[in-house]
Amino acid sequence: MFAQFVDGIFWDFAVIVFIVGVIWRLASILRAGIKADLATPRASGFAGSVRTNISRFFPHKEVTPRIRILVIAGYMFHLGLFILLVFAAPHIRFIEQHILGFGWTPMPYWAFILVAEIAFAGLLLLLLYRLTHPVTRLISTADDYIATILTFVVMLTGCMALLESFSGLRVFHLFTVELFMIYFPFSSLMHAFTFVFSRSYTGSKLARQGVDA
Amino acid sequence: MNIARKRQMRNVGILTLLLVLIAPLIPYAISAVSGSSVQGNEYQTQVKHPGGDLWREVRQRDTDVIGRTQVKGVDTGILINKSGEDWRQYRMEMLAPYGAYLMGAILGLIVLFYLVRGTLRIPGGFSGKKILRFTLNERMVHWFTVVIFWLLGVTGLILLYGRMVLIPLLGLEGFSITASASKEVHNLIGPLFLVAMLALIITFIKDNFYASGDLKWLFKAGGMLGGHVSAGRFNAGEKVWYWLASFLGLALCVTGLILDFAILGQSREIMALSHVIHTIAAIVMIAVSFGHIYLGTAGMEGSLSSMSTGYVDENWAKAHHDRWYEEMQATTTKDSKQEAVAGGVAATGKASPISDN
Repeated sequence: MFAQFVDGIFWDFAVIVFIVGVIWRLASILRAGIKADLATPRASGFAGSVRTNISRFFPHKEVTPRIRILVIAGYMFHLGLFILLVFAAPHIRFIEQHILGFGWTPMPYWAFILVAEIAFAGLLLLLLYRLTHPVTRLISTADDYIATILTFVVMLTGCMALLESFSGLRVFHLFTVELFMIYFPFSSLMHAFTFVFSRSYTGSKLARQGVDA
Repeated sequence: MNIARKRQMRNVGILTLLLVLIAPLIPYAISAVSGSSVQGNEYQTQVKHPGGDLWREVRQRDTDVIGRTQVKGVDTGILINKSGEDWRQYRMEMLAPYGAYLMGAILGLIVLFYLVRGTLRIPGGFSGKKILRFTLNERMVHWFTVVIFWLLGVTGLILLYGRMVLIPLLGLEGFSITASASKEVHNLIGPLFLVAMLALIITFIKDNFYASGDLKWLFKAGGMLGGHVSAGRFNAGEKVWYWLASFLGLALCVTGLILDFAILGQSREIMALSHVIHTIAAIVMIAVSFGHIYLGTAGMEGSLSSMSTGYVDENWAKAHHDRWYEEMQATTTKDSKQEAVAGGVAATGKASPISDN
């Protein structure tokens, strides 16, 4: 009964909340608009936004020594999660059967395990940084912790279901993924989409003022 | 930091700990709710296995007879490995019960000690002045190891004691799901423990070598039996724990990798031996860690903040690590003089390790 619920109506509900929620959030940002800048631009805003979108992937060398662990852990987790999501064999099978109707070549099992460990370690380091760094801890909200712990639980249940020998473990993993999808649009997890908007705005605005952001 | 903030941080910590501890048991709940349990054995009939007598004869031979086979691989010429049964009996009749006795005894002693002595208070109470004891990197390495260690510890204990403890509670299917989940988490997270251990060893090795006064500290049990005992940044007890954790941790890593990567050509005997060493090392490390956790939390006032915020109270430092406190005072005085000459913190690039909070 629970398996039918997770595989059926709750999956549909989670997908609808995720898609509608993300579109609604992004549309609300776009609809907010930007106050017209009447000053003569010193440089192209579009070029500035593109440049900032790329340059923000690399920390400024002045601050690198202080945030090195954050940058390394951040890349470990985000790249690891993306690779797992797109190239892990069970995920490709799920996408083929439930979403797109076609699949692609998965990564080998050893790579799957290696990437999972890297992503797991990255997420753990990010959570520990949030808890132990005095400034980051002060500016962290309950949402930050819920989002991190939810992601941690999704990955942990994914580990549990790795052997694919029990249907219950797969169902449990899917259930946590659905909770994650429902929480996603209303939380800081939206940064997966909104980072492009914030970087573009900052880059464009500062480029027009003649500042290299 | 205000009280509400501290309370929020504590709640998040408790929630995280509960999730980590409870997660391996959740699959049972899923199994129970989904109602996918096998319903009884009423349709099963007892049919004697036609090859049962043959296999029994093979199993009861005194030594392993190596036959010939086309299959290339380790032990492929052996029908039944007799040593496997020896290992199974040793695991069930020695490792598991005596391991439980050891962990139970340590826990019992800790509870008894707490009931007799209670929390060891800071002489003179909190002064309000704080000293940086552990840097951000040191704390991150410590907590990274802690999380990995307990993920492995809980899942490992489920694998060792699950049959005895969890089957009566969860039933056969509930336990098999829990054991499968635990095994996957244990095998996947295991290699990260090697990374954590190496980072831990390298980070803390500098201050963990023998220093004069350590033997005196040990003979006086760190002052727990009365009187003050002088200590540097780490006392002799902490040094013993450091080296014990390092050697046991590395033993766990080496034997764990042998068990985890069974495709490397190791024989059954090597696997069985690795398992025995792995289990003994894990049980001793878990048992001793109870004492470490106790002294870092409920056992000693003012200790926990050293690993949470990085700072300890000045009176705590004077009471438990007086030589280290004096070194820190000397460093601060020297830095202050340099700053005064060269123009402050900006010139030296170093913040004072002592602060008024």
